Amino acid sequence: MELGKVMQQVKERDAAPAEKGEGLGGQKELEEMVLKAGLCTGCGACVNICPYQASYRDKTVTLHSCDLTRGRCYDFCPRTPADLGALQRKLYDESDITPELGAMRGFFITRATDTAIRRQSQHGGTVTALITLALREGLIDAAVLAGEGEGLLPQAVTVSDPETAGRLGKSRFVVSPTVAEFNRAIRTECRQIGVVATPCQALALAKMRTQSVTATEGGIEKLQLVIGLFCGWALSWRDLSTVLKEKMDLASITGMDIPPSRYHTLEVYTRGETIRISLDEINLCVRESCHSCGDMTAEFSDLSVGSARLPEGWETARQWNQVIVRTERGLDLLELARRRGILEFKEVPGGNLEKLKAASLNKKRVAATRPSVGNGSGDSYRQAG
Amino acid sequence: MSIDNEHKEGAEVLFMGNEAIARGALEAGVRVAAGYPGTPSSEIIETLSRSAKEGSLYVEWSTNEKVAMEVAAAASFAGLRSMCVMKQNGVNVASDFLLHLTGSGTRGGMILVTCDDPGALSSVNEGESRHFARLMEIPLLEPADFQEAKEMTRWAFTLSEEIRNIVMVRSVTRMSHASGNVVLGPLPPAGGTAEFLCDGPISDPEQGPIISAPVAEKHRLQQDKVRKAVSLFEKSLFNTYTGPKKPELLVITSSACRLYTREAVSMLAAEDRVGILKLGTTWPIPPALVKRYLTATEKILIVEEVLPFLEDQVKILAAEQVRETGIKTFFGKNDGTLPTTGELNPDLVAEAIGRILGIEPKTIPAAYGEKLRMLAGLIPRREQTFCPGCPHRASYWAIREALQRDGRGGFVCGDIGCYAMACLFPAAGFYTCKTLHAMGSGIGLASGFGKLGSFGLEQPVIAVCGDSTFYHAAIPALINAIHQDANVIFIALDNSGTAMTGFQSHPGIDINAMGNASPMVDIAALCKAMGAPVVVEDPFALKETRETLNSLMEGGGGLKVLILKQSCALSPEKKGKKRYLMQVDELLCKGDACGCNRLCTRIFRCPGLLWDRNKGKAQIDEVICAGCGVCAGICPAEAIRCEEAPVS
Repeated sequence: MELGKVMQQVKERDAAPAEKGEGLGGQKELEEMVLKAGLCTGCGACVNICPYQASYRDKTVTLHSCDLTRGRCYDFCPRTPADLGALQRKLYDESDITPELGAMRGFFITRATDTAIRRQSQHGGTVTALITLALREGLIDAAVLAGEGEGLLPQAVTVSDPETAGRLGKSRFVVSPTVAEFNRAIRTECRQIGVVATPCQALALAKMRTQSVTATEGGIEKLQLVIGLFCGWALSWRDLSTVLKEKMDLASITGMDIPPSRYHTLEVYTRGETIRISLDEINLCVRESCHSCGDMTAEFSDLSVGSARLPEGWETARQWNQVIVRTERGLDLLELARRRGILEFKEVPGGNLEKLKAASLNKKRVAATRPSVGNGSGDSYRQAG
Repeated sequence: MSIDNEHKEGAEVLFMGNEAIARGALEAGVRVAAGYPGTPSSEIIETLSRSAKEGSLYVEWSTNEKVAMEVAAAASFAGLRSMCVMKQNGVNVASDFLLHLTGSGTRGGMILVTCDDPGALSSVNEGESRHFARLMEIPLLEPADFQEAKEMTRWAFTLSEEIRNIVMVRSVTRMSHASGNVVLGPLPPAGGTAEFLCDGPISDPEQGPIISAPVAEKHRLQQDKVRKAVSLFEKSLFNTYTGPKKPELLVITSSACRLYTREAVSMLAAEDRVGILKLGTTWPIPPALVKRYLTATEKILIVEEVLPFLEDQVKILAAEQVRETGIKTFFGKNDGTLPTTGELNPDLVAEAIGRILGIEPKTIPAAYGEKLRMLAGLIPRREQTFCPGCPHRASYWAIREALQRDGRGGFVCGDIGCYAMACLFPAAGFYTCKTLHAMGSGIGLASGFGKLGSFGLEQPVIAVCGDSTFYHAAIPALINAIHQDANVIFIALDNSGTAMTGFQSHPGIDINAMGNASPMVDIAALCKAMGAPVVVEDPFALKETRETLNSLMEGGGGLKVLILKQSCALSPEKKGKKRYLMQVDELLCKGDACGCNRLCTRIFRCPGLLWDRNKGKAQIDEVICAGCGVCAGICPAEAIRCEEAPVS
């Protein structure tokens, strides 16, 4: 892996738009550069700030045309041009920044101590354990999560009750407009909000945090915690539904997972059995926008969580998570969890970090070199619960 | 205005052309009048309905023009005088029956009044009904002023009885909707007994069954009737000539164009050079009469709206008689002297005559022109849009938002009614209708689109249709869509009346044209009986309507019916009454900032909303606002507030 070369490509890709006039645009530019270009991630950053954009199913749509030449929709969008390096330097300690994984203060293997949480969640249940802890300890009074929706479609929800949050820990394979829900939540009485975000959603939140208060109408200061999720890609709701409908009753699905890449399958757990579908079929359902995403580990979060890789094999690894801590706040939360016995820690096996870096770099390389024709590599470091 | 009781014989009154036609029919003793509303014809039936009385005049708004003609024909078959009234494209609808009726013939005097709309001022076509007279081989009369409108209508019944066939009277917008003085004639006594004599032999026009077969025999008979009409036309006082004995230019004209020609000749001060032959009997034109005037001149200009109809007839006649009349030079539509689209006016006619005779038309003085331009600048710009409180604005809002959310490029097949404005004017803010044709064509087209799935058409297909249009022509297409299992969402925009043409009754309303209680035909029940799933929503409930639409789009295939029911803002029960008092909270209003960008005044665009440029805030125009409360539901800042209006 020629790190220097890839990073140069990434840098060029991110830097080039800045020369064209970064941050200048409104709905028209958003439509042309993102929505019509198939780059929309469905994060909802442009939704619930005005009446012109809306989230529907797993998409963001334009309802009516806005003729403002500058808008927050464009500014907040994770797919409009931005100098990501500058953004990183603004939000993170420069000495923590790594080229492959973003800011990193620590790397851990963890899982929820509570087996009930692990059962209800994905993999080690680290995210669920942390978010319920943050709510219980009053670090946040509301969490914006991708909750159960209808069928395969998750629904972004704001929860204050740790018990409820604890029940929403499954991985979603279709995006939910989490940032749209955050935009709604900041206008409510919630004062301190935590968000569990995919990389694109975390980037949108980061872009919002770096806008001036007047530009955001205030409220962004309520954002107290971002737990990022590792993400290889998300699937199109309509395409996935079409594929799964042929194989099972959608109502019977209880969960899904992707084992390490050598299995090359998506496992769908239904009430009766586990149905394995080849990733060849699933790759066709990957959202167009995911092919040009170079962020596998949600680099703009306080800490990021993904599935673990362990020498003991998948059956053990699927009980654990890998965690990248990026900020002071992230570290404090993880340490609190350790002190309270909420999380168990396991020694990080040698080579794990290097493998993660390589996988992350691979995603960057694919995105930088094949901006819109990605192969949906389906790397198994998927979002985790 | 009632045109029978208040005005006595010999009185001179100001009548709109349509009132003059109605009065002419009353003076002729019409007993049954049926029509379907359509501008510019609607006032004829409306005026007659005010004179309707049990046993002396029956008036109805029929479900469509074909039915209206059939209803009127039944009266004729039973020996009564009858008429059917429609706008130009209504004749298309009625034409299938008309073709057979002209073959079978009539008994009691029966006339077809059609009001054409050159320039399509209130239509989505510029169709001409005159050509039907030639096509169907029936006499055609065209009044050229208001007195004539009355007299000609009256005489048309006499002519019809004379030839035992239907007679067509054609008006145009500027005849029907302009007004002029009319001297009234006597009204006949009420009475007349209806009986359909049908036990005689098929060959007996008085007592036999009335059918168009045997065709060869009936067709020959029909053409004899036309020849008889022509012989009467030769002597008709409706054909007039004014001008010198040997004019330099002969203008042959009819209808409102006679008025334009007279004015044009006067503008050019060419009275001694131009002769005007005004024909009132325009199909077939009386050949001997026309030949007489052709002989007296070298140059002929034919002035008519819209297509060359008189022009063709005159030229054929001139060709046939060229040995006697000599070779002439013709001006008109074919050589481009006059346009073949749109209305004419005195200026266009003056320009044409001026060009032929080498007269410079008088131009307006510069100072006057300047004043005119200044005044024009003072006229507030008004866009064609839905009325304040119009349910269609809300319906389209929900439809547009549902389609945009769905994101598969769905579209709406439009139909005829106020709601057609969503096809034509993006200014209405939510441009969603993508096709617009004849009455009922929305669902017909949708039925076709809805079967293109196997060719890859994935766009959701929606058809809209007003309640009156539903009864008029949508039902057969709807049945087709159901039977063919077409993937269509059929939305009935039910505003409880034929709103566009002035709130005439229709089968969905419990009152008929004469103001009497009448059984209703329920759209939802009808659709359910046809086997379609039916959902009813109030379009003022924007979110519910939108969500219903989205779930219908997501659901399985086949035809689904959504009825959006909310009365027209101008309906008698709503007009002038506000449900809510609306107010804008200026502290909350975001104006043109990011987060709103004037959604209410820029996109939603209800005329009841104002944009205060100085304050940068929205306002309610209390005079215009109908108090429907819908705009409160679209304001992103919840700055538009509604409060229940006190019940007065």
